[in-house]
Amino acid sequence: MNENLNVSPEGALDKNMKVLVVDDFSTMRRIVKNLLRDLGFTNIQEADDGSTALPMLQNGDFDFVVTDWNMPGMQGIDLLKAIRADSSLAHIPVLLITAEAKKEQIIMAAQAGVNGYIVKPFTAGTLKTKLDKIFARLG
Amino acid sequence: MNIAMVGRITLEQAKSLVEFLETDQQDKADALIAEIQNPINSELFAEIGKLTRQLHDSLTNFQLDSRLNDLATSDIPDAKERLNYVITRTEEAANKTMDVVESVFPVVDNLAEQVRAVNPSWTKLMNNEIDLNEFKVLCIDIDALLISTGKETQNIHSLMTDVLMAQDFQDLTGQVIRKVIDLVREVEESLINMLTVFGISAEKPQERTLPKVGDNLVEGPIVNKENRDDIVEDQDDVDDLLSSLGF
Repeated sequence: MNENLNVSPEGALDKNMKVLVVDDFSTMRRIVKNLLRDLGFTNIQEADDGSTALPMLQNGDFDFVVTDWNMPGMQGIDLLKAIRADSSLAHIPVLLITAEAKKEQIIMAAQAGVNGYIVKPFTAGTLKTKLDKIFARLG
Repeated sequence: MNIAMVGRITLEQAKSLVEFLETDQQDKADALIAEIQNPINSELFAEIGKLTRQLHDSLTNFQLDSRLNDLATSDIPDAKERLNYVITRTEEAANKTMDVVESVFPVVDNLAEQVRAVNPSWTKLMNNEIDLNEFKVLCIDIDALLISTGKETQNIHSLMTDVLMAQDFQDLTGQVIRKVIDLVREVEESLINMLTVFGISAEKPQERTLPKVGDNLVEGPIVNKENRDDIVEDQDDVDDLLSSLGF
């Protein structure tokens, strides 16, 4: 099950990296967690919106954030902006997985410094491709 | 409205005023004086009186329309409950399905691992390269593999039936949502009715209005993609847009 990660051309993905999955729907968090686990990630934590996620990130040396956009409390885009504005968090790659599909929003996310953008509904293959791309870029 | 006169009083009005007084019609004379003093007000008051009566009638009609009252006090709260039921049932179904899937993953992984483990010896056997001791070990491994495969496939089969049954939410939530759609249609008709009673045109707006969006243009899933040109169709569109931005 974990070999997908080993055979990826980039190869160097650290499976122990600490990942934070942020979504207000527990079922979607569960899906993303399962897919990430399938790709070899073992150290995954969850938050149900940006305002819960931000203190977790500030206190907990996370390496990667996967977040929804549309959440009550703090939205994913605002979480992204907060991460980029905090010098101790700014380096963390952020992947948006969202049903928000307006071109203007995608541009907004790009300008805010997102590392990847996946529209729902999405597939396991898309997630893997985007992860490979994000971490290949980061080197 | 006769407000075009230049002086305060016309000759005609003065004549009739004298006539009213001479013929002892004091109230008519007073009314004429009032009209002369403020020609606009009397007509305005008449108009307000008319509107007030119309408003009163309209409100009375509304009170008579008990259906509207039922909609607000009973049907709409009921619809909220129904939609919450949809959320609960779909969430349950998703979790039930994921429970099964998560319990099947390790079982399948375990079987795959056992197959991987016997594979080298099995290949030797097929190539006539196996020695007796290795053959004995292989037999024991294959025996264990057959037993666990038999047991686990049966187990997986019954778990798959659970996944199948978890999909029964679709029928139930479908019925509930259909009822809510009917209610929305009825509310829509009542609102159009109300607009008509108040003399406001209920015709469709000239331009198609876009759905309401929240902060950061948040809208949720797009349900009518084909009618929109401000959105991306799929992941390929997203990727194209991002790469056009130099991403």
